[in-house]
Formats: sequence, C-alpha cells, structure tokens
Amino acid sequence: MKSATWIFLPLAILLAATIILYPNFAQRELEIAVRKEFSTLSPEQKKEILSKFSEHWNQEYKQSGWDIKPAPNDLKDEEYFLVTGRFITSAKINQISQENPELILEAKNKLRPTIVEEWVSKGRPLTIKLGLDLQGGMRVAMKGDFEDYASKLRESYIKEIENLKKTVADPSADEKEKKKATDRLEEIESYFELSPSRKLLELEKAKLIIDNRLTSQNLTEPQVRIQKDQDSIEVSLPGVTNSSQILEMIQNTETVEYRLEENDNSAGNGLTYGAVIQQEENRVLETGKREDTDIVKYQNLVKQKLGKTEQDKFLLSLEDKYKIPKDKYRVFAYWARGSNQNSPLLPRRFIVLEKAIALDGRDMRDARPSFENNSFGYIVSFTLTSNGAEKFFEITSQNKGRNLAIVWGDKVVSAPTIRGAIAGGVAQIDGSFAKEEAVDLANVISEGALPIPLRVLEMRFIGPTLGIESIEVGMKAVMIGFVLVMLYMLLIYRLSGMVADIALFANIIILSALLSLMGFTLTLPGFAGIILTVGMAVDANVIIYERIKEELQAGKSAAVAVAQGFDNAFWTIIDSNVTTLISGVLMIRLGNGPIKGFAITLCWGIVTSLFTSLFLSRLIMDILVNKLGIQKLQIGFKKLES
Amino acid sequence: MFDFIKYKYVSIGVSLALILFGFGYTFAIHGGFANSLDFNGGLRTVIEFDQSVDRKKLETYFGENNIEAVLLLLDKEKNHYQIDIGLGSIDSIFEKYKQKNALKPTDKVEVSGIDALISILVSDFGITKSKVLSANQVGAVVGGELSSTGVTLLGLTMVIILAYISFRFQFKFALGAIVALTHDLILTVAFIGFFQIKPSVPIIAALLTLLGYSINDTIVVFDRIRENASGNLNETFGQTINSSINQTLGRTFNTSFATLISIVAIIIGGATELFDFAYVLTFGIIIGTYSSIFIAAPLVDIYDHVIRRVRG
Repeated sequence: MKSATWIFLPLAILLAATIILYPNFAQRELEIAVRKEFSTLSPEQKKEILSKFSEHWNQEYKQSGWDIKPAPNDLKDEEYFLVTGRFITSAKINQISQENPELILEAKNKLRPTIVEEWVSKGRPLTIKLGLDLQGGMRVAMKGDFEDYASKLRESYIKEIENLKKTVADPSADEKEKKKATDRLEEIESYFELSPSRKLLELEKAKLIIDNRLTSQNLTEPQVRIQKDQDSIEVSLPGVTNSSQILEMIQNTETVEYRLEENDNSAGNGLTYGAVIQQEENRVLETGKREDTDIVKYQNLVKQKLGKTEQDKFLLSLEDKYKIPKDKYRVFAYWARGSNQNSPLLPRRFIVLEKAIALDGRDMRDARPSFENNSFGYIVSFTLTSNGAEKFFEITSQNKGRNLAIVWGDKVVSAPTIRGAIAGGVAQIDGSFAKEEAVDLANVISEGALPIPLRVLEMRFIGPTLGIESIEVGMKAVMIGFVLVMLYMLLIYRLSGMVADIALFANIIILSALLSLMGFTLTLPGFAGIILTVGMAVDANVIIYERIKEELQAGKSAAVAVAQGFDNAFWTIIDSNVTTLISGVLMIRLGNGPIKGFAITLCWGIVTSLFTSLFLSRLIMDILVNKLGIQKLQIGFKKLES
Repeated sequence: MFDFIKYKYVSIGVSLALILFGFGYTFAIHGGFANSLDFNGGLRTVIEFDQSVDRKKLETYFGENNIEAVLLLLDKEKNHYQIDIGLGSIDSIFEKYKQKNALKPTDKVEVSGIDALISILVSDFGITKSKVLSANQVGAVVGGELSSTGVTLLGLTMVIILAYISFRFQFKFALGAIVALTHDLILTVAFIGFFQIKPSVPIIAALLTLLGYSINDTIVVFDRIRENASGNLNETFGQTINSSINQTLGRTFNTSFATLISIVAIIIGGATELFDFAYVLTFGIIIGTYSSIFIAAPLVDIYDHVIRRVRG
C-alpha cells in the first residue's frame, strides 16, 4: 500500500464529517417571535408578562448558557428575541413558546441555519434529531372513526340518490336513462364501502392535513405516522407536555358545508318547523322562566363543555319533541355573538335545515379572512372549485328567496338569503367573526377538514425535564464510557492502542455525520446501536492486535507482523460483521419504530467501523512501521521486539 | 491451557440449570414477568387534581384499594398526574366500583374498566369530569409490535445466519452459533423475569444489541477453530477447539471488558432512564461471552462426535 498518498482519503472524509457535525456543537441563534398583540397591551400588563418570562428564563435557561437579546427586561417593540446558545433542542423551543402563550407567537420561531447548513444542505438543519424518548414530549395515537365518516358521506349524497331513485321508479323515463341511473346508484353505493386501501387513502389525507396544522403551529419536528394495521395515526410532538389545546387542534374535524333551510310550509299550515319551535320558546319566555327555554338549556350544555355527543343528543331530542321528519330535516343551532363583539359565540336560536348537504368542503378551494368595514367583525371570502361553482350556481338559481345556511362544524354561522344566481365561484361567509375564528374558518376551508373523525387511542407523555435531564446525564455517561474504553485500549496496547483510539474516534465522527446527513432521528434504541458499534469497532482492533502480537511472538519483524496480522484478522472481522449486518438489514426491512432505529445505526456503524478498522488503522500502522521505521510495537504489557 | 472441552457437559448443565432456575423463580415466586403498560396494555388516565392532593395521598389511596398504579407528575404547577394501571388491577377497580354503586359482588358491571376507574376517582377525589384530561385503554404497543414482526424477524434472521455460516464455515458451526444465540436470548429473558425488569422499548434494544454482540463473539472463536483445523492432523477436533478457545481468550477478555466499561459507565453515571437497558446489556454481554466459549464451541464438538459415530 502506498500509504503516504492514501492517507489523504481518510483525512478528507474526516474533514467532511467534522464540517457536517459542526452545527451540532456550534453556538446557534434562535429567533423567538413576539406576538403582535403584545405591543397593544398596557405597560403594566407588559411588565407583568415580561417579569414572569424573565424570572422563568433565569431559572431554567441561564444555566444552559443561553443568552437572550434583547434582554427581556428592556424589550420594547421588538418583533423577536434572539437567543444564542449551544444544544438548542426542538423540545426546548416548543417548551418556551408553550410556557409563554401571551408573549410568544408560536408560528414564527426559527433556528437560524449555520454557515455549514447554508452551504451543505441549503438551510436544512444538519443537527441530529432526538427522539421523544431522549428529549421528552407527547405522543398520541388516534384511530379513524370510519362509521361516522360513512354516515356523513351518505348525507352528502341524499339528494342525488333520491333523484336517481325517482328516475328508476318513473314509468315514463326511457330505458337508457333508467340504466344510467341504476349504474350511478351502484357507483354511489360503492363509495360507502370502505376497503382497506380506501381507508388508507383517507388516513393519508388526514395525515397531510394534520401535518399542515402542526406546521402552522410551528411545532419543531413534529412527526405524523400512519399505522396501517390499526387504522390509526400516530403523532409525536417533541417538547410538548400535556397540551389539550394542541390535541384539540389535531383532532378538530370541523367541516364547512352548505344546507338549505326547510321549506316555507314544511310543518304544514303555512308554518315552518323553525317557526313552531320559536312560538313554543316565546310561550315559555312569556311565563317568565327564561331558564326553561330550550335555547338556554342548550347554551348551558355548551358552557359546561360536556362534549359533542351531549349536544347532539339534545338536538335529537328536539327533533322528537317537535316531530320533525328525521329523514328530511335536522335541527341545528344558529350561533352568533351578543350585541358587542367581545361577547362569546353562543347558540342563539334553533334553525331547521335540510338533511341533504348541498355543498361541502370538497367543493371549496381557497379562503381568506378579511375585515369588513361596514359590518362589525371579520368575514371570510372563498373560491369554489369549478365543480363547486357549477353546483353553487345551480343551487342559487333554483332556490331564490330561500336561506342557504353555512354550517361550520355543527354550528350554523350564517344563513344568507339567496337573492339570485351567483356565478363565477366566489362567495363570502358573513358571520361577524372575531379575527381568530375567521382565520380558523379560512384554514378549515382552504386546507380542508379532516376527512375522518379521530378518536384518541392512547396518549403518552415523556416529561420534558425528565427527558432533558436524562439526555444530559446519558450523554455524559456515554462520553465517560467512551473515554474509559479509549484509556483501556491505550493501557493494553500502548502505541497501537493510540492507533485504535484514532480509528474509534474517526468511526464515531463519520457515523454521526452520516446520521446527520440522513436526517435520522436518534432514539434510545438508536443509542444502543451506537454502543454496539463501539463494541464491535473495539473488537476489530483487538482481534487485529492479538494477531500481530502472535506474529511478533513467532519472531517476525514488525513490518511483516503488521501485514500478517491484518491479513489473518481480515476474514474474521468480515465474517463477524457480515452476520451482524445481515440481521441488521433484516431488521430495517421488517422491523418498525424502535427496532428500525436500532438497526439503522447498527448497519451504518458496521460500515464505518469496517472502514476505520480495516483501512484507516492499517494505513496508520503501515506508516508507523514502514515510513517512520518504528520497530518496537508495544502490544500488551510485555515489550515485544523483532 | 485450560481444558474447556473436558467440562462441556458441566457448562451445558450449568446453563440449563440457570435457565430453569430463572424461569422457575419468575413464575413460582413472582407469578410471571413484570407487567408494563407498554407491553401488556392497561388503563392510562391524566387527571388534574386539587392542589391538596400529592403523590403520597394518591399512593395510599391506590394501596388501600389494592390497585397497582404507576404515578407520573406531568405538570407540577397544574398538578397533572398520569396514572398507569395494568390490566391486573381491573378486578380491584370493579370491586371498588360495585361498592360505590351499592351493587352486589355477584352483579355484573355494565361499564368498561376505564369508565369504572374514572367514576371512582371522580367521586373519591371530588373532581369534575372536565378535570379528567385524558383516559384511555392503552393497547400493548411494544407487545403488539413485537408479536407481529418480532417472531418472523427472529426466525428469518436465524435462518439467514445459519445459511451464511454454513456457507462460510460448515453446518456444524452454524448449528452451534444458532443454539448459542437462542441460549443467550432465553437466559437473558430469564434474567429479566428474575429481577422483574419491566419490558419496554429500551429492553428490546438491549436484547437486539446482545444478539449482535453474541454472534460477533461466537464467530471470532469459530474462525480460529476453522483456521487451526485445516491441515492439522496431529490433534483431535476437540483439542483443536480447545486450543482455539485458549488462543482467542485474550481477545475475548479485552473486548468484553472494553464493551462492559462503556455500559457500566451508564450505570455509574446515573442515567436512570437507561438503567434497565444497561443492566440487561451488562448481563447479556457476560452471557454472550460465556456462551461463545462454553456453549457454542463445545456444541460443535458434540455434534462432530455424533456425526462421526453415526457415520461409523
């Protein structure tokens, strides 16, 4: 081997690896965005929030050596704080914004990329991501409720099915049309059948939407996984402790749909069911018992936050009470604010709508909130898809004078009267919303509602402080272990031990750089893989040196002994590593989650340790023996000379 | 030079005895393996308690009612506790529920375990339902994951390793390696049962690490045997095995010691979260080292003898 020239290869690899690893250890800058609303607060309020923040900061983050600029005490109207420090984990970032909801705007925290990241990966972070088990956080598994999904889907086809059935039963219709209608009926029926592949498709849609929702919350490194065999979605949120708010946001299945209000004469005698309900409510009110009206009872249900099922039950009971035909109509509540804009959004009266959904979320394309000057509050304007625009035109032209209710979730938020046909596919929802609601509604329309309701299957928390402590202690322990191993090698094999230590060190650097580049998330099992890698790398060197020792004992010269030792050890090392590699590759292919994480670090660890022990070690030994002419290789406690 | 082969039946006997003792102790004394929510499933609730309720109070409460619960304080300020209860305590929960609702012991309970649990907690601690932040019947995540893929994985890995070693060495070596591997796995599982270590993801990682280590260790010894056996007619196969083991002893000791250092550092360093992992791995490495010397190599010798006798 022409050692002197070959030495550039490992040097180049090591240099590249070190550069890639630089962001992990570098002093980093984190932008923490301050809420815009913060600047509108009174000075006392500001001071209170800031002093709380600074107290907490000094307690928790000062000791990690994190510096914050501008200092929280003299923050004026700055848009963000700039935090500088090392080892800023996503868990910590999320923790800071969760602990200070009044001060920090979740959506804009940003870890500034280092020079290396700008050059190597165009701004993509190169730091090794840590799994929930290492940095703490929350994991939720949610099961898709496909029964609920199917029943909602049915409602959206009620009208069409009705029309088709009419056609089929109509004796005057010609055969061709009847055939077409039956075919279409069959097609629609097939929509309600939920095959596994169909379920997976819906889960994938849901995953995409959850991804979007989480990104808009600026949670760093959230992970959303589909678990096919369980029809469930698993969400991992590093650093998030028990946040029911985030869970609610993920699970939120609110949809936006349009339903026509009942006919003018739906209850007979020229009355609507809505009017009948209103008469009864007025009668109760006249007796002076406001609490006995159904709407107040319903408001109380809402205020108690008993959940959707209770509310649904109540509305169903109203349908029974007023004998409303369930196959045609459904009772909803009309939600609005009181006379001033700060009063809460509450159900104000009951409204009866057609059961059939006229238009739904799939017909809408894009939406944005805007501020309307002549009304109070926000409105949401939206665009319809071409298909939706067509339907919208049809509805508005055929139902002039009727009310078209806009139902958000289960709330009727607006029920404008159709004045004439609307073409072009642009419309507005006027519900005098507060800003947040308008933003929420616009988000639901434009990114789509969750296609399936999700029920929490299980939720687990890994305490963030526990996680951080354990990683700090764990890291220290592994470092100590690593140093001890190196000392041991030095003690046993002296100069050769130093070579082994260099190889071991290079091994860890190259392996970490590889994992960084791959965007690998390091979990505890992954950690185990690295420990095993260290063990195997040490082993390779030990095998080699024991062989060299034997050759020296047999009286060979250092140069020959080194060459023979490496040659003799070569197949042993290959065989033992290949068998381990085989099981590793199988684990990657078949295993999931923790097993996969372990296997990935193990496999790459084998590759790097083969390189460092068989190539790098040999190279250095070659140079020592052949170029530098060292004849006394001290292997073991006895000095062995040629 | 120590004669390892001479004592092969002793070492195999010791292993079998250890395995029997480990499992016997696990089932006779502990009544089985330790339960963990990760592995067996159970009830997991998160509750916001009144500030006056602390860990001690909760512990006495669950102790009095014979319910085994693992408590985790999630949020100090809001006093959020996560309470994990294994399926084994379901009966105690139902019993308490029957008492509360004045049901006869023979009556059938119409609610699920999780609803019964919430109902008794809500009434005993005087909290409203909205303070129950989450309540779930937790599925056996790790257990499920393992049972679905673990068995195929293990089987397939063994078959391929068997094929590789047969190809690179001889079938008798492959057989010895596989038996040694199985031996390590079983003995370590016995250890887990003996010390009632709760099965979890890190424990699985430790088992996998151990398998990788054990294979590696065994192959190094085998490799020496293969090398020494070729063209050597002066020694019996048993003698060759013996001298090979002795030749690799220095390497075996050094490697095992170096690997153990890094794991023991975890225990001394106080990384509590990694303790179980480190214990299992420490034990596993000792077993893995032991098995490649005392189990794997002697088994090759025994198999060799049997084949010779069969072939006459």
